[in-house]
Amino acid sequence: MTRTAAQVPETRQAAEAGASETEGSEPDARFTFANERTFLAWNRTALALVVAGLAIAQLLPPFPGVPWGRHLLAVPLIALGAILAAAAYLEWRRNQQALRHGQPPPRSPLPRILAASITVMAIIAGALILLSAALK
Amino acid sequence: MTPPGGQARGVLARDRSPVAAVGERGPAAPADDIEDTDPGLARERTGLAWTRTAISFAALGGALLKTTPAAGALVLIMAVVIWGLGRVACRTGQPEASCRYRHLLITITVALVSLVALAVVLLAGSSTALLRPHI
Repeated sequence: MTRTAAQVPETRQAAEAGASETEGSEPDARFTFANERTFLAWNRTALALVVAGLAIAQLLPPFPGVPWGRHLLAVPLIALGAILAAAAYLEWRRNQQALRHGQPPPRSPLPRILAASITVMAIIAGALILLSAALK
Repeated sequence: MTPPGGQARGVLARDRSPVAAVGERGPAAPADDIEDTDPGLARERTGLAWTRTAISFAALGGALLKTTPAAGALVLIMAVVIWGLGRVACRTGQPEASCRYRHLLITITVALVSLVALAVVLLAGSSTALLRPHI
């Protein structure tokens, strides 16, 4: 089936506007399963971030001279876990809409967000260790 | 393995235009993915992904049991529910029909767990003794 130039933006807009999931045609079950697995993988990542945050706050000994250090690491990690879970759901819906309309899945911002967040957290952790060593 | 996006484009394109697909791969080219002949493996992988997610919930529930037993027990119950949902999805083979609510349930659960974790971190403060009440 050939799509006209006018039809493609129309379907994309419908997908982005969160049109009903019954619109379009039923996609190949394999794509639906792949989309579902991706959603589950993001949620496991979100859970891992929450666990990491909890572990930092509850298991790590306090940084000498920086009593708020553990909270500085734990709170953003847990918050990022909550954000990732919600974003994964929106992304699953967006991908499913795209599949139903025969469009390629839209580009996901989640990997970039996760990579940037982990990099920032690593830098903060390094700075905290250096700061606490200097203040000891 | 081909990533989901690339796979989707490839097979959707084949579905729409068999002639183009033959032109790309040649008429006698074998299927480049075993799932071209057996889509059941995708279902199996998805079932395993649900199981891994349930195990992740169980692990978090076990960890939370030490600090907040009520929240930990709830998360453990959710682990069982999620495992059951994955089994139902695998059995019916209709992933999209009831997907939306199952996915929403997982999203809300993870968000709630995050809020509980935030409360534990902020309210329990720096008391590492919470984890070692008998020391």
